Amino acid sequence: MATMRDIRSRINATKKTSQITKAMHMVSASKLKKAEKAITGFRPLMKRLRALIDNVLDQEDVHHPMLVDRDVDRVCYIIVSSDRGLAGPYNSSIFKAVTAHIESTHKNTDEFVVAPIGYKAMSYAKRMKYPLLTESSIHVRDDVQFIDFKEVSERFMKSFLRGEIDKIVVFYNHFINTITQQVEQLQLLPVTNGFEDLQDEPVPGMNLIYNYEPSPKTIINHLVPMYVENTLYGIILDAKASEHAARMTAMKNATDNAEDIIKTLQLHYNRARQAAITMELTDIIGGANAVN
Amino acid sequence: MQISVVTPHGELYNEDIDYVVVSSKMNGEFAIMKDHIPIISSIDVGYVKMVRGDKQLYTVIINGVVEHQNNIINVIAQEAHVGLSKDSALDHLNTVREERIKENKRRNVDFARAERELKKNVKDAKAGKI
Repeated sequence: MATMRDIRSRINATKKTSQITKAMHMVSASKLKKAEKAITGFRPLMKRLRALIDNVLDQEDVHHPMLVDRDVDRVCYIIVSSDRGLAGPYNSSIFKAVTAHIESTHKNTDEFVVAPIGYKAMSYAKRMKYPLLTESSIHVRDDVQFIDFKEVSERFMKSFLRGEIDKIVVFYNHFINTITQQVEQLQLLPVTNGFEDLQDEPVPGMNLIYNYEPSPKTIINHLVPMYVENTLYGIILDAKASEHAARMTAMKNATDNAEDIIKTLQLHYNRARQAAITMELTDIIGGANAVN
Repeated sequence: MQISVVTPHGELYNEDIDYVVVSSKMNGEFAIMKDHIPIISSIDVGYVKMVRGDKQLYTVIINGVVEHQNNIINVIAQEAHVGLSKDSALDHLNTVREERIKENKRRNVDFARAERELKKNVKDAKAGKI
C-alpha cells in the first residue's frame, strides 16, 4: 500500500494537471466563440460571390479553365489539421479518413500528391511517406486572416493551371456543433459544384441583366480565382472552429477525469491515514498493556 | 443610394451616399451615380471613392468586385481599408499586409526551431526512460 506521502504528492500533481486542462478548456472556449463569429461574418461574402458567378456564367461564351473537368492523372489532397495536439480525435480522425480514401482509390504514389496544412498533417504525411506538393509546411494561426492563405491558394491554382495536378480535394473537419465535428471532403478545383444547388435562399434581384465592365470574360477571370481563394479560407475557418471545439471537449473530459482521480485518491489517502492512526493506537495500547 | 462593402472579415461599411467613383489599375475609372443601369465590374488594385455632400471617403481595395443594381452598390473585396485619402488608406493596407506576412514567416521559423530544440532536449534528458 502506498504511503500517505506518495498519495498526497499524486493528489497535488493531479490537481495541477486539472488546473492546466481547465485553463486550456477556457482558452479554447473563448477562441471557439471568436471562430464562430468569423464564420458568420464570412458567410454573406460567399453567398454574394456565388450569386455573381452564377450570373456571369449565364452569359454566352464565358468559360474559365478552373471550371472545366479534365482527365485526372494526378490528384492533390489538401489535409487541414492543427499545429498542436491535445485536441482529442481531431487530427487522427482526419488522417484515418485520408488514408482510407487514398488506399481505396490509388495503387501507387505517382497518382497523387499531398499538401498538408498544419504541422500535424505535415509530420503525418512524412511518416506515411506520401509525396508532398511542397516541402515547407503551412502554419495555421489561431487568429486566421485572409492574407495568411492567399499565397497558399495562389500556389495551388498555379499548379493546377500548369497541369501538374488535375484535381484538388480538401479533407477537413466540418464544425457541426461543439460536440460533433465531421470529416468531410470537398473538391476545390476544378470548381464543379453547380452553384445553383445551394440550400440557402437566392439573393434577390440577382437575375437582372447587367452591364459588364469591361467584359464578362475579364470579370469571370477575376471572379473564379477569388471564389477559390475564399472557399479555401472558408474551409480553414470551419476547420479552426472544429479544432477549438474538439480541444474544448477533450480538455473538459480531461478535467472531469482528473477530478474523478482526485476523488479516488482522496479516499485512498483517508484510508491510509486511518490505518496509520489505528496502527499507532494499537502500538500505544499494546505498550501500555505490556507495562501493566 | 446605398453602398455596402463586404470583406472576408465581415461587413466593413454600410452607408447612404450620393455617388461613387470606382477606379482600378486594370479597367480605369468610372462613376456610378443615381439610377445607373445594373453593372458589374472588377477591381484588381484600386479604390472606391464614396461621396456624400462635400464629404468623401476612400475604400482601397485589393481584389474585389463592384456590383450595382436598384441604387444599391455591393462591393465584395478580399482586402479593403477605409480612409480619408486613397494614399493613406493604401499605405495602411500595405503595411498591415507586410507586417502580417513577416510575422507569419517569423512564427514559422520560431515554431520550427522550438520544435527542434524540444526534440533535442527530450533526447538529452532521456525523458521516457526512468
